[in-house]
Amino acid sequence: MSGEMDVIQDAEERGRTDLWPFWRRAYAAGDPLPRIACAVSRETYRFDEGDPLPAEYRELLTKMLRHEGERAGNKSFLGFMGTCLDLAEALYPTREARVIKAEYLAEELKHAIMFHRLAVGLDRDFALRDVPYAHYTFHLPRETWADDAYFHFLVDLNGAFHARDWRESSYVPLAKMAATVERDELGHSEMGYHFLREICADGRGRTLCQRLLGKWYPAALDMFGRSDSKNAPLFIGWGLKSVDNAEIRRLYQGYVDAKLIALGLEPPDPLKSRRFL
Amino acid sequence: MVSDIVEEIREAYARVGIRLDQPAAYGTYYRLLCAGCGRMVGNVGDRLLPGMAADLVEGQRDLYADGLLGCPCGHQKKVVTA
Repeated sequence: MSGEMDVIQDAEERGRTDLWPFWRRAYAAGDPLPRIACAVSRETYRFDEGDPLPAEYRELLTKMLRHEGERAGNKSFLGFMGTCLDLAEALYPTREARVIKAEYLAEELKHAIMFHRLAVGLDRDFALRDVPYAHYTFHLPRETWADDAYFHFLVDLNGAFHARDWRESSYVPLAKMAATVERDELGHSEMGYHFLREICADGRGRTLCQRLLGKWYPAALDMFGRSDSKNAPLFIGWGLKSVDNAEIRRLYQGYVDAKLIALGLEPPDPLKSRRFL
Repeated sequence: MVSDIVEEIREAYARVGIRLDQPAAYGTYYRLLCAGCGRMVGNVGDRLLPGMAADLVEGQRDLYADGLLGCPCGHQKKVVTA
């Protein structure tokens, strides 16, 4: 495993440019993400690969990984990556942008290998299960480079926030890979933000971005699920999450709003067009 | 039903001069093609919520009219301003 990842790391380092990877500048300026800390008293659990898992723990962990989706054995994830390439080919504004999107795909495929290894260690049948993304945010129409930029800025950022939380996960294999996944996903979000900044440099572009926020902003907030989720206390109790859906959404919204305002955009009403409050 | 959602999406986009291609990515996503010239103008997935496709597409008719969305050939602009 470490030999395989060394080869990937070497390939990644040879792909570096002034821009890529986007996480480099973000972390050089300090920790870009807010602290996600558990505020309730709970037991301390640690489970490593091969350890017997309590049934409820296994069920919750599998549910979480099913939502995450980035597994080599999940053909729907690979199909989704194909649509990203397809879209880049149709809409890319510059050759540089298209190469950046290919770097993004390479990194997501690295995650697919990492999560595949984790899934095989947990349950071989699960590792091969096809799980199309169920949340509507993954299915929103993308008709411009600005749509695609919002997808990355907001949806990959959701992944970064969850990965930040996994640093403290009671499932050791997940905790071990969390820092890498967080860093990469934050970089993908910064890639989207880079494209948004370019588009917003022009008045018509900024008008388009402000309008498209009405589609992407509520969907991004909806991705964290319902605030009254019955499973949240179970996830927290088992050490699979640190905070509930409302708290991680609050932290995320604070981060996103500051970045939107920096672009000269007005964050929409956070309750407007929401489907999962 | 996913097939009902796909029909909703197809009908919503037809009203602005965009047609759905054959399903891609194991049946989950669809290319959006300009009904005028056939160029790919985007994509969409089949798990939108009921009514969402019509809301989204109708809500951006002015963006097609302004040329902020749609194919460079101008077909959507022509359709929504007709």
